[in-house]
Amino acid sequence: MFFSLIKKQFKVFLRNPSELLLLLVMPIGLIIILSFALGSLWGGSNGETMEIEIAVIQHEDELKQFQNFIVEAKQTIPMTEPLLESMKSMLPVSILLDQVLNNGETQEFVKVTKLEKSDLEDARNGGNYNAIIEIPEGFTNDYLTSVFLNKNAPTFQVYLNESEQMTSVVIQNILDYYQYQYSLFTELAKNQLLTEEMTIPTLDITSNIKTVASKDPITSSTYYTFSMSVMFILFLAGTIASHAYLEKDSHIFDRIILAQVNPVTYLASIVVSTVILTLLQIGILFLVSYLIFKVPFTNLHLYLLITFMLSLVIGGVSALLSSLNYRTNSAEASNIFSNAFVAILALLGGSFFNISGISPVLAEIGLWVPNGAALEGYLKLVQDGSFSSIQSIITNLGIQAFILILVAFLLFPKRGGIA
Amino acid sequence: MLEVVNLSKVYKKVKAVDQVNFYIEPGEIVGLLGPNGAGKSTTIAMISTLIPPTEGDVLLRNENVIKEPTKLRKILGVVPQEIALYGDLTARENLEFFGSVHKMSKKLLKERIEIVLKQIGLENEHKKLVKHYSGGMKRRLNIGVALLHEPQYLIMDEPTVGIDPQSRNHILETVKQLNQESNTAIIYTSHYMEEVEYLCNRIYIMDKGRIIASGAKEEIKSILSSEKMVVVKFNRHSNVFIQELMDLPLLSNINVKESEINFTVAKDTNLLPTLMTLCEKHKIVLNSFQVEEPTLEDVFLHLTGRALRN
Repeated sequence: MFFSLIKKQFKVFLRNPSELLLLLVMPIGLIIILSFALGSLWGGSNGETMEIEIAVIQHEDELKQFQNFIVEAKQTIPMTEPLLESMKSMLPVSILLDQVLNNGETQEFVKVTKLEKSDLEDARNGGNYNAIIEIPEGFTNDYLTSVFLNKNAPTFQVYLNESEQMTSVVIQNILDYYQYQYSLFTELAKNQLLTEEMTIPTLDITSNIKTVASKDPITSSTYYTFSMSVMFILFLAGTIASHAYLEKDSHIFDRIILAQVNPVTYLASIVVSTVILTLLQIGILFLVSYLIFKVPFTNLHLYLLITFMLSLVIGGVSALLSSLNYRTNSAEASNIFSNAFVAILALLGGSFFNISGISPVLAEIGLWVPNGAALEGYLKLVQDGSFSSIQSIITNLGIQAFILILVAFLLFPKRGGIA
Repeated sequence: MLEVVNLSKVYKKVKAVDQVNFYIEPGEIVGLLGPNGAGKSTTIAMISTLIPPTEGDVLLRNENVIKEPTKLRKILGVVPQEIALYGDLTARENLEFFGSVHKMSKKLLKERIEIVLKQIGLENEHKKLVKHYSGGMKRRLNIGVALLHEPQYLIMDEPTVGIDPQSRNHILETVKQLNQESNTAIIYTSHYMEEVEYLCNRIYIMDKGRIIASGAKEEIKSILSSEKMVVVKFNRHSNVFIQELMDLPLLSNINVKESEINFTVAKDTNLLPTLMTLCEKHKIVLNSFQVEEPTLEDVFLHLTGRALRN
């Protein structure tokens, strides 16, 4: 009898082309469109690692300036061997070129080209570089003077190619951190804290950049495969709950109750059929993305685990919406959910874009909505692939599923009838 | 015997059903006649244990079934007013589904489906999706689903609403046959008095949540035994003419339908001279004058002052 309830749900669902269109064709279409349309924002071209080309134009040799500075500074500062070593290791242009733009992490995605002064105009007009850094004459000398002789700090010029938004943001992050270190030395010197005994630390780039560099890249097609899939399964919950209400409205539910089927069994059949349909829907969407975009699914069992937990939550949502529909004797709960609430959940869960850039608080809330938690889990699997990285998400989804199913069963009416 | 004792249902402050008493013996067809909104559907929802009454009992062989509905549900079939079917399934699939939720064995279900499809005349149309059926075919399948588990009691709520005369006749014949061949007791609710007159041995007339008359068909009609029904036709009439007709103290329950007017008068009244005088005064020609036997519709009009289908 329970199997009959599930079988009936499948038949009714599969014979409804408009619903299949919404739940399968639309997300596939959107994944394809968004992957290609927004691919450039995810690192130049779809499926490729981000590549940043930076041109550096240095107007004067740094070592020559350093030697000039020592000659000048000897008259006011006693030059010991350790201090000279320290000064040598904090030369700003060398730090920028060797430690910031060409270290082990950044060299994977940053390509630095040194240009002559005369090439500046051509480089600016050509648009071949994501950024051009112009270091003026006497920059190193001025810098050392500002640190050790309390003069004004010099500046260098950066030309960013802002048509490529993502790369501009990354370059700015790198330079911001460089500038922070640069300002730190100046402040230490001004406050007499930069002594000859002090060892100048090697510059490290920001942790954000490290993340980008050390983990597998997420392409737009990967992101939208997951974000659209977790969004469109929300519609499934609304659709199943609407079907359930139609069964009440047309008195089919009364017939089921008169056949001695416990209302709890009926509601359980809604949960189980939603879980199975969710697994099928996501399975189809993932398979299509795998075939078209080669979205990687290494550690498939972990993807299945997240998908199963998410399916339980969606089962809970559809059961809760069905209970509310039955209680209010209308399909309003499922209609409001499908027409308005899904959009809010999609936004919070990052289905359209990563919301953490707008508000960290909203991003935190997004982790507690089913689609947001599942999306986070899938993305973590793409980058890390270990169970430990998704453990908290599995727990989170489990809690959501438990609460939703419990409330749904408590709310569901225990009789049929027209009232 | 299935019996209803002082059954009431109150929604917020509205009394939908008020102290209804009712019984049906095995093998009987009992009619529940009343206009839309009379409380028929609420009454049968309570009898079928789908909604709990505010007051009163439903007894099956003297056992209360409100708290323990299992015994009644096993032997009860309900045909709701709505088409309680899946439009995206075929007739056979619908029957298979409802049979399986009744926990019928596969073998028995298969046999019963063939029998029921024949009973409802859909044996050649069982592969079609129900959404492609005509209104009459849907109504027949709606009945068929309720017959699958061979109920001893069958409740039919307005089973012929909105269908063509041919399908209606088919349904009425099916009901009659079912009662005669399987001895199924049937509670038949309708606002079509001719259906109730044709099918039912006993009739309950309901209005505004109450049973206002009950008994065998002839008993109910005898309510109007001291009166006769008159139907008159004029070449034309006017408001003033109708008003003067209504003011005549001999006439009651006047009902005007275009050129035809019907009313009840006391059995020994000679109305014709008075009517002719009135026609002469208004220069109206009396085309026909007919005395008829009272129908259930007339009884309802007499009891409530309203027509059954208003």
